[in-house]
Amino acid sequence: MATVKKRFMILSCLILISLMASPMASAMTAEEIIQKRDSNEYVKTAIAQSKMVIVSGNREMTKTMTTYVEDNNGLTIFTNPRDRGTKFLKRGDDLWMFFPDAEDLIKISGHMLSQGMMGSDFSYQDVMESDKLTDLYTFELLGEEELDGRPCYILEGVAVEGKQVSYYRRKSWVDKERFVGLKEELYARSGRLLKVMSTKKVELLEERWYPVEAVMEDKLRKNTRTEFYVEAIEFNPEIPAATFTLENLR
Amino acid sequence: MFLTKLALRNLARHRNRTLITSMIIAIAIFAYILMDSLIGGMTDMSYATLIDYEVGHLQVVNSQYWEEQEKLPLKDLLPMKAAAQVALANTIGYKGGSPELEFVARLNNGINELPVIGKGIVPSDFSRVISFDGYFVEGEMFALGEHRAVMGKRLADLLGLEKGDYITLLVKDKNETFNTIEAEIAGLVHTINPNVNNNIVYLPLDLAQQALDVGDEISRIVIRLEDKDLAGRVGPELERGLKKLDGSISVYPWYELEAVSVADAKNAGIKLMLAIILLIAAIAIINNVILAALERMHEIGMMKAMGLEMKEIIYVFVIESTGIGILGGALGMLLGAIGVGLFANIGVDFTSMMSVDMADWGIPVLGRIYGSWNFGTFVQGFLFATIVSLLASIWPALWAARKDPIVALNQL
Repeated sequence: MATVKKRFMILSCLILISLMASPMASAMTAEEIIQKRDSNEYVKTAIAQSKMVIVSGNREMTKTMTTYVEDNNGLTIFTNPRDRGTKFLKRGDDLWMFFPDAEDLIKISGHMLSQGMMGSDFSYQDVMESDKLTDLYTFELLGEEELDGRPCYILEGVAVEGKQVSYYRRKSWVDKERFVGLKEELYARSGRLLKVMSTKKVELLEERWYPVEAVMEDKLRKNTRTEFYVEAIEFNPEIPAATFTLENLR
Repeated sequence: MFLTKLALRNLARHRNRTLITSMIIAIAIFAYILMDSLIGGMTDMSYATLIDYEVGHLQVVNSQYWEEQEKLPLKDLLPMKAAAQVALANTIGYKGGSPELEFVARLNNGINELPVIGKGIVPSDFSRVISFDGYFVEGEMFALGEHRAVMGKRLADLLGLEKGDYITLLVKDKNETFNTIEAEIAGLVHTINPNVNNNIVYLPLDLAQQALDVGDEISRIVIRLEDKDLAGRVGPELERGLKKLDGSISVYPWYELEAVSVADAKNAGIKLMLAIILLIAAIAIINNVILAALERMHEIGMMKAMGLEMKEIIYVFVIESTGIGILGGALGMLLGAIGVGLFANIGVDFTSMMSVDMADWGIPVLGRIYGSWNFGTFVQGFLFATIVSLLASIWPALWAARKDPIVALNQL
């Protein structure tokens, strides 16, 4: 079964990580651990209500949203008063944005993809990654350590030469028992730490372990972070076929 | 001959009317010539700011890159050896060639970040094409191999940066992978090109090539010639020579750049304004000529009563009116010559005069704007005044000449 790493804009996908209950008695390779984590993140269909708190210095902005995910497509509709009606549509590798005030549809591409999404610490690219991580990176198991009281595997992935990836190196802390990513550090090719994503809370929902609180920090900027909360999530719902069309975006 | 003399004598007889009408025409022509000089001056200056600070006279690029250059891609680049080939090409009027690697970056000061254009350059080659001499507000140019950068003072001010501070540029290399360039600010410049002041960060070429993982490749070679008018002639010659070595290399003269087209489009808009000025001038001339004919109804009646034929009356009127046009046109040219002379030598500093940055109005120049001489405009203005005066007089003369002499005589 193909283990496709799904990352959609609001991170609902990103943090929908299921727990594989089977105990891992024997030693696992780095690739097996990542594949296990990646397969846990695979979500066929979901509808999620979530909240994003963007903190920059003393300023705090809260954005709420509803996200629909199906296969490689996703639609996010912002519901907080200031951004109400702003929509993002991901279809395969393409991303569109709709502003209700301007009634304008914008395709986000090229250099725009590396900008922070809605002013957050997540770039559009962060939420667009949809290739298998094991195809893009060569992973190595660095060791094990305890993180916030949880035993973790520490893995390091270095980009495969010639592959198009945003981050040259990523270091991940994966919960040894629940196979949930608890922390990930993302590095530039120069070795500079660019971003750190930490999972703050994991809950058992519909017999699966999910991270419901995560924090992303842009390490190039001081005093900034984006907190992400999944407030409600429904798996395998019926989503109308027209949901992921450009017509529906307007 | 008699009628011509009569018409000319009429001009002298009605000296005040002749002078006032001529002055109105002269002012219209003067405004036209001055406006054209301003536009010409601004156009020349905006070309100069582009050529002197950004694009040079010729650009050597891969033709595929040229199509996509707006996005500053890191594909379809040129090998560095192309710069050596350009230098050896024996191009007429060649002064220097600067290999450049351009890329999109986010300039970060640790708190905020701004999108900027990064330019990897070889300082010694760059200075032969684009001179920053006299424009350094602080510091100096870096050398190859250093981790140092030069940027506009305005950009630095915007991010609260000073000479000696360290900056981080977040870039994406040719594999779309994030990378960072750390550099110390070696110098800050303030030129008359707002784009250089606000948007560009210059770095040593080797540092940029390494960070972007492009080997020894470059985006373009910017060439400076002795004269911008040589570009159209030597460009194709140079291209033919380079194509023998690599079929994908093309050479583009400065006037084919999109920035020049944008400047031209803006000028087209201003020229429309100029046309409106001429239209208003034409209305003023027509109005004056018609009024001059109408107030002389009595005189026309007299001429008819004395046996002058209709075509003779029209002839007198047309000669008179054309005479006013010639006088007004000549006066306008004289005033225009004085105005443009002052404007071209002293110039006008709109920025300090109106306390606005002209760049905010889409005019890519800073500082004093100087007028340009365009003798064609003088001729155009003169011919316009003469022809409009001539044509404008026909209808009122015809109308007056058709009048019954008794009615015309009684119309006072």
